Amino acid sequence: MSNPSQLRSTILKMAYNAQSVHIGCAFSIVEIVHTLYSNFINIEKLKKFTSDRDYLCLSKGHGVMAVYANLFEIGLIKEDEIENYFSDGSNLTGLADCHVPGIEVSGGSLGQGITVATGIALSKNLDKCDSKVFCIVGDGELNEGSAWESIMIAAHRKLNNFILIVDANSYQAMGKCESVLCMESFKAKFEAFNFETLECNGHNLDDLNSSLSILTKSKNQKPKALIARTIKGKGVSFMEDDNIWHYTRLNEDTYQKATSELAK
Amino acid sequence: MREVISNFLAEKASKDKNFYVFSGDHGYALFDEIRNKAPNQFLNTGVTEQAMIGAAAGMAKTGKKVVVYGLACFVPMRVLEFIKMNICYDKLPIIILGDGAGTIYTTLGASHQCGEDVACLRTLPIKIYSPADKFEMKLSLEEAAVLGIPSYIRVGKCDKPAVHQENSITKLSTNLPILASNNKTAIFATGSMVSTGREIATKHDLTLFSCPVLSYYDRTEFLENIRKFSNVITIEEHSINGGLGSIVSDLIAEEGLNTKLTKFGIRDYFTKGCGSYEYAIKYHKLDSESIVDSLKDKGLI
Repeated sequence: MSNPSQLRSTILKMAYNAQSVHIGCAFSIVEIVHTLYSNFINIEKLKKFTSDRDYLCLSKGHGVMAVYANLFEIGLIKEDEIENYFSDGSNLTGLADCHVPGIEVSGGSLGQGITVATGIALSKNLDKCDSKVFCIVGDGELNEGSAWESIMIAAHRKLNNFILIVDANSYQAMGKCESVLCMESFKAKFEAFNFETLECNGHNLDDLNSSLSILTKSKNQKPKALIARTIKGKGVSFMEDDNIWHYTRLNEDTYQKATSELAK
Repeated sequence: MREVISNFLAEKASKDKNFYVFSGDHGYALFDEIRNKAPNQFLNTGVTEQAMIGAAAGMAKTGKKVVVYGLACFVPMRVLEFIKMNICYDKLPIIILGDGAGTIYTTLGASHQCGEDVACLRTLPIKIYSPADKFEMKLSLEEAAVLGIPSYIRVGKCDKPAVHQENSITKLSTNLPILASNNKTAIFATGSMVSTGREIATKHDLTLFSCPVLSYYDRTEFLENIRKFSNVITIEEHSINGGLGSIVSDLIAEEGLNTKLTKFGIRDYFTKGCGSYEYAIKYHKLDSESIVDSLKDKGLI
C-alpha cells in the first residue's frame, strides 16, 4: 500500500485531469482511509465482496477521491478509471456512489450514508457476524438531524460493530463549523449518546492505529466514535486550512506546485 | 384490509428468519401478530423516519427482506429523498407501506392527511399499488414480495365494503373490471374511491374499473380499455395532480384520443376545518352525491 503522500498524488492527478473540486475534503481523510485499508479492513474479503467482509461507508461523500485512491491501490479501480475521471460515461462520480465496486453506500446527500451504514451494522449484528462497519462522517455533516437519528438507533441496538469516524476538519461548505453551526463538544455529545468515544490526531498514523485498535477490540456493547482532528487540505501547504480548496480547481501552476510538495 | 396486512407480515416473518418489518413507532395493533409470532423480526426504530429508511436499506443491501411501515404523510412524504437515494437508486426490493393515505386522519388536521404520495413517487423507479379492498391488498403484498424492485403500497380507508367477490380475482392487473355496461361512459377509480365508484356506476349503469397499479402499469391494457369509451371519469382520494387522473390524461393526450376525461380528486390542497372522514370527503366533493351532481352538470349521466 502506498503512503499517504503517494495517495495524495493520485488524488491530485484525478482532480487535475477531471478539473474536480473537493480536494480539501479528500485530503483531510487520507490517513484515516489509508489506516482502515491497511490494518482494519480485510482486503481479500473486500475484493471478493463476501457477506462477512468489513465495510467502509463514506457518508461524507465529498471526500471520495481519497477512497478511490485506496481502491486503486488494492485493484478494485483500474488505472484508466483514474486517468479518465469525469470523462463522459465513466463510472467514478464526484461523490460516493454505491454503484462503484468498493463504495458501499451513496454519500453525496449528507446525513444519508450514515443511516444505511447503521442498517448494515444492524444486519451484521443480528446475524452475529464479525464484520466491522466503519463509517466516515464530516463534522459539518453532523448538522443533519438524520445522522443523530442513526446515532440513537446504533446506541439503542448496541451495535458494537459500528465504528463512526468523524473527520473533524473544522470546516463546512460555507466556513468554519463553529461560526456556521457550532456543535462542539463532539466527544461530550457522543458520550451522552452512549458511544464509546475517543479523540485522536487524524493525520498521525500511530495515533489512528492505536485509537482504532482500542475501539475495534473493545468488548462492551456500545457503538464506537472516533473524533479524528484533521486539517482540511492537509498535505499541501497552500491548501491547508483554507476552505477555498473545497471549491477551487487546479490549474497547471497549482498542480505542479502541489505535486512537487508531495514529492519532497 | 388491515387484517390482511397483519397476517401477511406475521406469516412471512414466521416462515422466513430473513424477513424484517420496520416501523417508526407507528402501527400499534397492526403489529400484534408479528410481535407474537416473530418478535425479533419487528424493529421499531423510534420516531426516526429518515434513519429508518436508511437502516432498512442497509438491511436489504445485506440480503434481508424488508418491509417498512409508516403513515403516508411521513413515509414516503417526509423521507422522499431517502427513498430516492437509498432504496430506488440502489434498486432494493423493499416494500413500503404508507398507511392512512388520503383524508382518513381528518380530525388530526393537515399534518396527517396525505394526497401527494402517489404524485411524488411516480417520478421514481418504484412500483405503486393502490388496492381497493382486502382482496387487492393481499395480491399487492404477494406480488410486491417477489417483485425484485422497490414497491409502495398505498393503504387508504380500510373499512369500506369490498369491491370484489371472494376468489373473483387471482391476479392483479392494470384495470380490474368491477361492473360492465354498454354505456359509453366508464369510471376508472383507485383505492378507497372504487367503492364510491361502484355506488355511482350501479345507479347510473356505467362501466367501472379498479386501478390498483399506478406505476409500471400495462400501458396497452390501459389504452385498450380507455379506447372503448367516449367519456372516461377518474376518481381518487389523492390530488388531481400526478395520480390516476394524470395517468389517464397523459395516455389520452399522448395517443391523441378523442376521449373526454373528467377527473375527480383532491383539488383544494388542504381540508378546511375539522370533522369526520365523511365531512372531509364531502369537502373535497368526493362523495357519491357530489360526484353525481357534477356529472349531471356536465351532461355525462
